[in-house]
Amino acid sequence: MAPDLPIQDRQLDMHGISRVEGEGSLHVRIRDGALENVELEIFEPPRFFEALLRGRGFEEPPDITARICGICPVAYQMTACAAIEDCCATEIPESISRLRRLLYCGEWIQSHALHVYLLHAPDFFSCADAVELAMVDRGAVERGLRLKKVGNLLMETVGGRAIHPVNVRTGGFYRAPELGSIRALADPLRAALNDALETVTWVASFDFPDVEGEYRFVSLVHPDHYPIESGRIASSDGLDLSPAEFADLVVEEHVARSTALQARISGRDTYLTGPLARYALNQERLTPRAKEAAATAGLGERCTNPFRSIVVRAVELVFACEEALRLAEGYVEPEPPSVVVEPKPGTGSGATEAPRGLLLQRYEIDEQGTILSARIMPPTSQNQLTIESDLRRVIEDGIALDDAALTARCELAIRNHDPCISCAAHFLDVEIERS
Amino acid sequence: MNHRVVVAGLGNDYRGDDGAGPAVARLVAASTGAVDIGPIAEPLDLLGKWDGACVAVLVDAMRTGAPPGTVCVVDIETESSRQTTSTHAIGLGRVVRLASVLGTGPRRVVVLGVEGADFADGQGLSDAVVRAVPRAAATAAELLFAAGLQS
Repeated sequence: MAPDLPIQDRQLDMHGISRVEGEGSLHVRIRDGALENVELEIFEPPRFFEALLRGRGFEEPPDITARICGICPVAYQMTACAAIEDCCATEIPESISRLRRLLYCGEWIQSHALHVYLLHAPDFFSCADAVELAMVDRGAVERGLRLKKVGNLLMETVGGRAIHPVNVRTGGFYRAPELGSIRALADPLRAALNDALETVTWVASFDFPDVEGEYRFVSLVHPDHYPIESGRIASSDGLDLSPAEFADLVVEEHVARSTALQARISGRDTYLTGPLARYALNQERLTPRAKEAAATAGLGERCTNPFRSIVVRAVELVFACEEALRLAEGYVEPEPPSVVVEPKPGTGSGATEAPRGLLLQRYEIDEQGTILSARIMPPTSQNQLTIESDLRRVIEDGIALDDAALTARCELAIRNHDPCISCAAHFLDVEIERS
Repeated sequence: MNHRVVVAGLGNDYRGDDGAGPAVARLVAASTGAVDIGPIAEPLDLLGKWDGACVAVLVDAMRTGAPPGTVCVVDIETESSRQTTSTHAIGLGRVVRLASVLGTGPRRVVVLGVEGADFADGQGLSDAVVRAVPRAAATAAELLFAAGLQS
């Protein structure tokens, strides 16, 4: 921030935005009271996972890619499995698919609970962090921690442990959880469902800036259910593609200021994945309680106010608890716990819905199963340009704010999308320049 | 869980010297009878595991530039005020403060750091850290005893 400049000419520097993963910076330049430029500069070193995967065996991606993120390892594992199984033309039995979906619900619950309560909600109370929020509303933070704990329990029970689960393999699982251990999840999940419903009521009461974004939403869609681990890829402007077709259509560009690739849909430009997109394209397939909660919260058929993404996440918490409960109550041990995946030369693509958006992976393997090439498109890479557009809109709307208030508004705008820079290999300090 | 005295190693046994905390915690538990609630991969995971404890000793690997194997007591107040830059991780200091605000954490928390040298993938501690483990465990036991007397 440059304190000597008049308010119509200023530069704000935001270094090390809290509650945003990774390293980078945002530079904002305001001249004569008008926004001149917004640039996300990303300088965290790229992580070269795609290169690291080359030459490895076709059964290794679930374990290797899980290490990209400590919050959404299941998303990486499930997507890697989907891509490899697509390449090898492996049919996955329904019992294994359902167990995968149950595991993924655990990740949604713990990730959304963490973001809603400990990372995003403090902004709406002008609290610096969850500690201050606990001083203001202890019961809310306790509720969030209870939810996160149930998500972790689910991941531990199905995946073996909550961070980087060890029970996932191509073709299924190393071991099927015993019936009793899954049925024992029912009571905690019922309690979590109640907590999730209270979460929706709580966040819907927040005071949101009156901002509407213009988004091209992209998410998985599935004819039978709200999408998590499978489906085709649709957009709000009419795309309906397989993961392979979508991967072909997305152009990833490198720009000098960023070590991350920036994604655009060829011929259509930027797009947004994540809760707002999933909800807009799938809200009619939410579970009954989640649908009811969304209606009570006044979400309508779509939500284009990015600040209200916290309400959509809360609705997805209800959905994930309800869906996990259904799957736990109907659990049948898959026998065997995995099917054999035989290497088949070719290319396979997989897409799933990570908590913060669409995740794609594509692998090319040879006849021995050696990986010849790998492509990973995490949600934050895909959302980065849209986040920049959001920031432009937020700054223009709030240009009369002083630098501190405008910086806080920018940070909130970024957290609306829960960017995971570890996944995308990037991000964030902020600099606003008025000159 | 309602153990009066708990110990936890923070870290990953599969990342070289990041396993220093769990190694020390195991030794402390074996020699003092404190309950080992680790290893802890993410500080938030302490919530719930240490509820009701009177005293908790946490042991973590550190990288401060000190000679590898250096053992020191970390000032948790300083650590808790440090700015973090993560969307997804909440630092140990903030977790301790959060537990305190919620009234669920141990009455006393003591944090011990062990300077690491090599955090590459793979099991096994570096020589300097191997030598530091019994020394750190002895320090931890003394801290447990002293904290227990004061609580």
